[in-house]
Amino acid sequence: MDNDRINVKQVSVFPEFFTWPSDDPRLVATRCKSCGYCAFPKSFSCGNPNCTNNNVEDILLSKTGKLWSWSTQYYQPPPPFIAADPYVPFAVGLVEFPEGIKILGIITGCTDPDKQLKIDMPVEVVAEKLFTDEQENEVIGWKFKPIG
Amino acid sequence: MNKDKEVAIIGVGMHPYGKYPEKDPRELGVHAVREALKDAGIVWKDVQAMAASCSANLGSFGWLPGHCIAQAIGETGIPIVNISNVCASGGSAIRSISAMISGGLCDVGIAVGVDIAPKGFYRALGLGNSWDYDYVRWKAVGMENPSYWALECRRRMAEFGTKEEDLALTKVVSSKHAQYNPYARYKKVFTVEEVLASPYVCSPLRLVELCPTSDGAAAVILCSIKKAHQFVNKPIILAGCSLTSASYGDPTIRIMQLSAPAQAQAPLISDAVSAFKSAYEEAGIGPEDIDFAELPDNSAWHYLVYMEAAKLCKPGEAEILLRQGDTAIGGKIPICPSGGPSSMGEAYPAQGIAQMCEMVWQLRGQAGQRQIEGATVALGQTYGMQGNSSAIIIKK
Repeated sequence: MDNDRINVKQVSVFPEFFTWPSDDPRLVATRCKSCGYCAFPKSFSCGNPNCTNNNVEDILLSKTGKLWSWSTQYYQPPPPFIAADPYVPFAVGLVEFPEGIKILGIITGCTDPDKQLKIDMPVEVVAEKLFTDEQENEVIGWKFKPIG
Repeated sequence: MNKDKEVAIIGVGMHPYGKYPEKDPRELGVHAVREALKDAGIVWKDVQAMAASCSANLGSFGWLPGHCIAQAIGETGIPIVNISNVCASGGSAIRSISAMISGGLCDVGIAVGVDIAPKGFYRALGLGNSWDYDYVRWKAVGMENPSYWALECRRRMAEFGTKEEDLALTKVVSSKHAQYNPYARYKKVFTVEEVLASPYVCSPLRLVELCPTSDGAAAVILCSIKKAHQFVNKPIILAGCSLTSASYGDPTIRIMQLSAPAQAQAPLISDAVSAFKSAYEEAGIGPEDIDFAELPDNSAWHYLVYMEAAKLCKPGEAEILLRQGDTAIGGKIPICPSGGPSSMGEAYPAQGIAQMCEMVWQLRGQAGQRQIEGATVALGQTYGMQGNSSAIIIKK
């Protein structure tokens, strides 16, 4: 049993989207050095039509942000998401980062999201298991966890 | 617009919305086309051009719906264009035919849209690439389409004090209209209590506050104004038909996207705001002239926010009009006399054309028990998935 656990392979759902493995996982975005335009997932191009420099660089977003809004999904999402069986409703949220961008992610660390979550509450970026895939890999993704 | 270049609407036709999983989409499309021909009093061989809305749900038919319909009804060699523009496809097809007519390329053209949609949530259609954000949002977040609307809805509730009873009331009003529409899929009239007893799909939005995916078809025949008088005495005029996309800095979290700007440098649903503005300008008509509007009430949130984007009221005032009964038939500005997508369901390639059918029936006084008395100017607008909008204004 212990050996089986050790042999579980963990893989990132999309390796270029967040730093992992890491004790301090962060979302990876791009920012235009000329105009400050910020993109997630990161982009090869500046998306500001008023900026002609197209001078983008990768940045790591702040560890924490504010919960701009959330919704609890009461029905099971279809594949390619692999939901828990039996299905347990979970919250998805939009988190505002100081870099000027709001980002989607699953909210973790709460059992009754509609009672526990509040608009503008602080949350931090964590890397956690999303699901186990068909090859028995543990698929790791970014999530947001309320602080305090 | 130059009077000589005005475009008239001489025929509309629909296949009732519902679920027809066993039917051939050609059957639905040809039904709508034949209804529109009959309504116009012309025959298929009189039609000189066709624009058809594409559906992502229908394989080869979905790529080339116009050609498939022409093959079924009889090929006549006319130019056919198939338009893939999600919810704005119907409006895009109408705009394409209108431009051909006002540009002198033809006198009589048809726009048609058909869908047979999968049951339940729309799903990822991609192949699993990290640049395909539709695939990414499903795989990494499990993010369902209406959950995007729910995020905006919850924020609106915090900003304007919208109550769950207000969200429920949008469905109540639309359902009362739909009971009299023979083309609507759902004709049950809801009470606020019944809506609030419906389960959450994605809080704060409930099952009956969301439009289901439906099957249906709609067609409209447009004609140059000089030739229209051969078919009808007083044709309905297509006064404005816009097509717009989102503006940089739009703060809306749009379906398929993983992020949105934190600081707004453009309005919420900027594509829709631009589409309304552009249609008003083209028509030389303002929001105060509109007698009723067919809006995309894909969710209760849409109902409220699209009224404001259309400038039918100020931000935060849609709930007030709703509570006062002003959005019901008989009120100051009836919204969705057809019952809207909440009662029709969403057959997205047909949506803009189906709205046009309802608008025409209303202006002709043919809307039966859901008739808006004395209506002379109507506004239609569809929801657009990727910041994609079309607005239509017609007048008597």
